[in-house]
Amino acid sequence: MPLILCASKQKPPSPSPVFSPLPSIFASPCLCSPLPRKLQAGRPARPASGIRGSEGPLRLGRAWARLAGAPKILVPWRTTLTRIGGQYGAGTESYFTLLRFLLGLNILGALFQGALTLLPLLLLGPIPGPPSQGVHQPCGPYDPLPQGLVDYPTLLINLLSGEGHLEWSPLFYGFYPAQLSGGTFRLPVAYLLSTFVSGLLCLLLILHRSVSGLKQTLLSESGALTSYSHRIFSAWDFGLRGAGPVELRRRALRYELQVELEEASERKRAEARTRAQWAGLWATRILLNLLVLAMLGAAFYGIYWAVDPNKVLQNVPVVLETPVLRLLVAYLPSIFISAANLLLPPVFGLITGLEGYPRSRQLQLLLLRTVFLRLASLVVLLASLWNEITCGGKPEAEACATCGYNSAERPCWETRVGQEMYKLLLFDLLTALAIPLLVQFPRKLLGTVCCGRLGRLLGTMEFQVPEEVLGLVYGQTLVWIGAFYCPLLAGLNAIKFLIIFYLKRFSLFFFCSPASRTFRASAANFFFPLVLLLGLAISAVPVLYGIFVIPPSKLCGPFRGQVTIWAAVPHAIQGLPRTARDFLFFLGTLSFAVPLMLVSSVLMVYTLTLASSYGRQVSKLKGHIKMESKSKVLLAQRIVALSGEERDL
Amino acid sequence: MGNKQTVFTPEQLEAYQDCTFFTRKEILRLFYRFQDLAPQLVPLDYNSNPDVKVPYEVISSMPELKDNPFRERIAQVFSQDGDGNMTLDDFLDMFSVMSEMAPRDLKAYYAFKIYDFNNDDYICPLDLEMTVNKLTRGELTPEEVGLVCEKVINEADVDNDGKLSLDDFQNMILHAPDFLSTFHIRI
Repeated sequence: MPLILCASKQKPPSPSPVFSPLPSIFASPCLCSPLPRKLQAGRPARPASGIRGSEGPLRLGRAWARLAGAPKILVPWRTTLTRIGGQYGAGTESYFTLLRFLLGLNILGALFQGALTLLPLLLLGPIPGPPSQGVHQPCGPYDPLPQGLVDYPTLLINLLSGEGHLEWSPLFYGFYPAQLSGGTFRLPVAYLLSTFVSGLLCLLLILHRSVSGLKQTLLSESGALTSYSHRIFSAWDFGLRGAGPVELRRRALRYELQVELEEASERKRAEARTRAQWAGLWATRILLNLLVLAMLGAAFYGIYWAVDPNKVLQNVPVVLETPVLRLLVAYLPSIFISAANLLLPPVFGLITGLEGYPRSRQLQLLLLRTVFLRLASLVVLLASLWNEITCGGKPEAEACATCGYNSAERPCWETRVGQEMYKLLLFDLLTALAIPLLVQFPRKLLGTVCCGRLGRLLGTMEFQVPEEVLGLVYGQTLVWIGAFYCPLLAGLNAIKFLIIFYLKRFSLFFFCSPASRTFRASAANFFFPLVLLLGLAISAVPVLYGIFVIPPSKLCGPFRGQVTIWAAVPHAIQGLPRTARDFLFFLGTLSFAVPLMLVSSVLMVYTLTLASSYGRQVSKLKGHIKMESKSKVLLAQRIVALSGEERDL
Repeated sequence: MGNKQTVFTPEQLEAYQDCTFFTRKEILRLFYRFQDLAPQLVPLDYNSNPDVKVPYEVISSMPELKDNPFRERIAQVFSQDGDGNMTLDDFLDMFSVMSEMAPRDLKAYYAFKIYDFNNDDYICPLDLEMTVNKLTRGELTPEEVGLVCEKVINEADVDNDGKLSLDDFQNMILHAPDFLSTFHIRI
């Protein structure tokens, strides 16, 4: 489409002959002010279809976009998040969006579980009285409620460690009765159903979030697009306003360029290394890895010891008398886990710096190690609990022989697991409250008091996105593990995340300076949901193990008296009409599972082949584009040569 | 539609609608923005096509352009005499090209002109150096700047003449899907 001019003044032509074919090469509408005379060559007075002709669909598109954006207004904290993103970068904003997402998940889960377990109990059934006392029971006396009046310190300790009155309350598993009055609503089945459905819902929502984020970022961050030319020419957002976002973008750009240059020089250095240097480097790496493993092992052993399976620490006379020491011993596992999570990652950071990898590799290694630390410490805690409850997996051990679980130590083992998760949650919240007060505030103060480089070093704090996100994932995994044994934990976690949101926002604005390094959006959108899924998978293991393998406590909970917790479901199915019963039993047999597996594998293979063929098509098209541009250059040169010949003729 | 305005004749408005991507309302709104920049210079009646130029200093103090490191070049490219003083036509052109409705080719053409500091229709290494320095505000060392310029030319130069022509630039922009969204000023 030719160019149109709205005014008639001329501009002096410039020398390059290559430009004369331009008007016919690209289609563009007019401009209001004059273009150089050379560009006026061969244009009609009016455009063929005109911009006006396309105004209708344009307006419609804009109206539709406005309508589609309306539901976004309902999402809370939108302005806060955009403000954070503008001032502190996309990485920090992604942390807060993840926090908001998890808050929504928790509220949903809490509503679900509350509606299916607590509400029927309050509406229908008899509120269970204290467990029968004094009568000698086959699986040990279970007497959680304290006798008579309790003094204030004991009350506080009970509140903080989930014992006493709190133990026999709707907070924990043990309180729920096996049957509700009326007999129509089966509480055991509802209890199990709520857990499975909320787990499935979480899985689907997380997958949806990660896939939609991946679609956006995978394409825009493929290798060809993060090259130098794009960074220079198309990375600067011309729409940025305000000194804050502009400064942020500048720093991010500078950091990206420096990282790229550094990686290039690192690669050159790596190629220039001699054999001896390689050997030395690998020896250092192996040594440092052993050091990391040793530290992890020490941390895990500390956690295992802190769970105190033999009640060694709890029975020391000094501890029994002073309530503060009792609280300390009760919280020892939480303290060890939090200490490990706080102290070890900076040490890992120093170690990875010595290993001689390029910077991006270093970050990945550090993240991997921190993820392993966080999730494995939970696994160790659960393993030591399991050891205590099932006598090390030996059902014929004398403590577990009568009831299938360690009834002498733990007459109600599900509540014990729930209590442990409850304590971890509370301690996590306490740590989150304590860090701004005890670490960040003094650093800020020292930064203003001390002068020079030391003061600046102390005073500048940045929001460390990966560590904070892993803290969120850890907190959420806790809740997923504990939600079966402590039904109101999701609700408590929602309140905790709300407090943490406002706390982190406050500490961000008061203490932290804008980020100096960028965080690729693909990392945020892909890696974080992946770690979240890993946490979900890890949390499924103890819950499923408890449901299918360990016998339920005989004195507490909705599943008392059954062989396994899962046995409630077949028992309930028996009561259904015949067709439903046969269908549901059929779902559990092999003749359903095997064809299902076959069909799923066929679908998976088909999707994989489709994806690879699309990938091949994309690379072919990219090659086409390259060839087009080359042919354009050739054609332009030909035209110039031909017009030169014409002139000569 | 149909509200009486006395700034432009109907033919002028039609002409403006033809040559920019804006609707009537937006053109009028932009005119009032232009007028607000220099109220004593810009008359409220454009029926007689007055030749009024707003000086560059006023243009560069607009909030949309104030923090942009390339504001000087943008004003120079879109002004008639290349000195940054803009008439209403130049003003409308500038925001029309930078709006979200301008096609990629047009934006690429103007982006090329903006980055071509010495106006020789090629982006040579000196132009690149100035671009990089404006982007990072001189926080990179000269060797780093030189390395970056070298790499950019290596990546984008298709016809191997050591500098980027418009075709090289457009070819490179084709591979950048976010060019359309970054080369965009909302007004």
